[in-house]
Amino acid sequence: MSNTILGRDAYWMNFFGLMLLTLIEVAAVGADLSSAAEGFSMTERQLTLWILTVIAIPKFIMIAAIFMHLWGENDSGILTLTALFPAFFIIIMILFIGLTHPDASMGLPDWCRPGNYGL
Amino acid sequence: MSADYHDHDDHHPSPWGPHDWGHGAPHNSFSPLIMSIGCGMFLLMLGGLFSFGEYDGRYLPMIFVSLAVIAAALIVWCRQDMSFDGSYEPRAVGVPFKNVQVRKVGVWIFLWSEMMIFSSLFSTYMRYRQGIPRCDTVFESGDWVEGVAVTCFEPASKLIASSWWHIAPGAINTFALIISSFTIVQALRWANKPVGSVDEEVRRKRVYRYLAATWCLAALFLTLKMIEWFIGFHVPEIGFLGLHEHDIHSLYSEGYLINNDHYQAHHYVDEATGAHMVANIQVSASLFYVTTGTHGLHVFGGIVGLTYLTYKAWTGAYNPQSAVSIEYFGLYWHFVDLVWVLVFPFFYLY
Repeated sequence: MSNTILGRDAYWMNFFGLMLLTLIEVAAVGADLSSAAEGFSMTERQLTLWILTVIAIPKFIMIAAIFMHLWGENDSGILTLTALFPAFFIIIMILFIGLTHPDASMGLPDWCRPGNYGL
Repeated sequence: MSADYHDHDDHHPSPWGPHDWGHGAPHNSFSPLIMSIGCGMFLLMLGGLFSFGEYDGRYLPMIFVSLAVIAAALIVWCRQDMSFDGSYEPRAVGVPFKNVQVRKVGVWIFLWSEMMIFSSLFSTYMRYRQGIPRCDTVFESGDWVEGVAVTCFEPASKLIASSWWHIAPGAINTFALIISSFTIVQALRWANKPVGSVDEEVRRKRVYRYLAATWCLAALFLTLKMIEWFIGFHVPEIGFLGLHEHDIHSLYSEGYLINNDHYQAHHYVDEATGAHMVANIQVSASLFYVTTGTHGLHVFGGIVGLTYLTYKAWTGAYNPQSAVSIEYFGLYWHFVDLVWVLVFPFFYLY
């Protein structure tokens, strides 16, 4: 791969970016976010989870795109589609196992219960 | 397919390798199949060895037999691949993978199965994390009786993220894996440099040193994981840093175990009454050890692969023609890093 990011070598830029994001992750867990969490009307634990989730997404993309060559190469397009193929099954698994709950049928939020939207 | 495929018998002098790659015919090795059978045997026998927490020594000989099968298959595979010089790298001729290396597509399809394995572990984690009340929530609610175990979810992060020192092994491991992803792409880059643009001895040294660095980082990862799980470590007194001497206990010594149905933690003591909540943490501990252990096994598999790649690089076998082997292994290694990107925040920090 001979791609560049901001005029610099893509591997090095990706490496520095990943290190920075990981530092932020660790700092977010160690820091006292209680006052910030109050501002967002959530608990500190919820805010931490949001920060960790938001940071994990670009880290995931950066490793896949740059280090796994899913960006900038002749076969990147078809291999990205190949890599994304199991996404359908993963979503199904997350929906039907990961997000199920013992009281799922009773504990649904109002907006997805029968009776809303005139249905 | 080459015209001379199967038109003579001397291109495959021994089923144990090494292959003669020069004649341009496929070389389908039986070794991965044998190795898979060995792995299956090993897991089956390991399950028998510790059935429902009881040790059964009858399975021990078969454990060694299965390990011997795996080792033999690996040795044959390495012997067959040692002679690979990149002269024969088949490309797909039909849609949708036209002109893409067949082996590269094969690695991606292998990674599909890996994705599904970790997806099942993550979805199970999500299911139980939401479905079982947290131990600290149960403790604060006061809905427990001393001496009666409460089934609740105690995330490992409760112990691991309790201080900077506790989190240190996991955090260092995160950086180690990211650096190792970088070192392996650097090995690939040096192997891929066009012939004539770099001295061959410099290429050889750079490639094997980067691969050896990746090996060391992977070994560091597993070492720190063992320290975190089983050993713990000692923090010395360092006055000018304000550090006081103390021990960081391992998860094992803290009682965070898959079979612990009477978990007692110091933070579950009612200060007013002195009553101690006892928790059944088998589900949460099992999820933690199975998921991070499966990831650790993948790192171990990577170390086995890296040992071979580093040795081959040391012999000077990698060049722009044969560098694809590093690229394909790198895909697996980056995937292991990708999984850690999700495991670390959700199992170690949250």
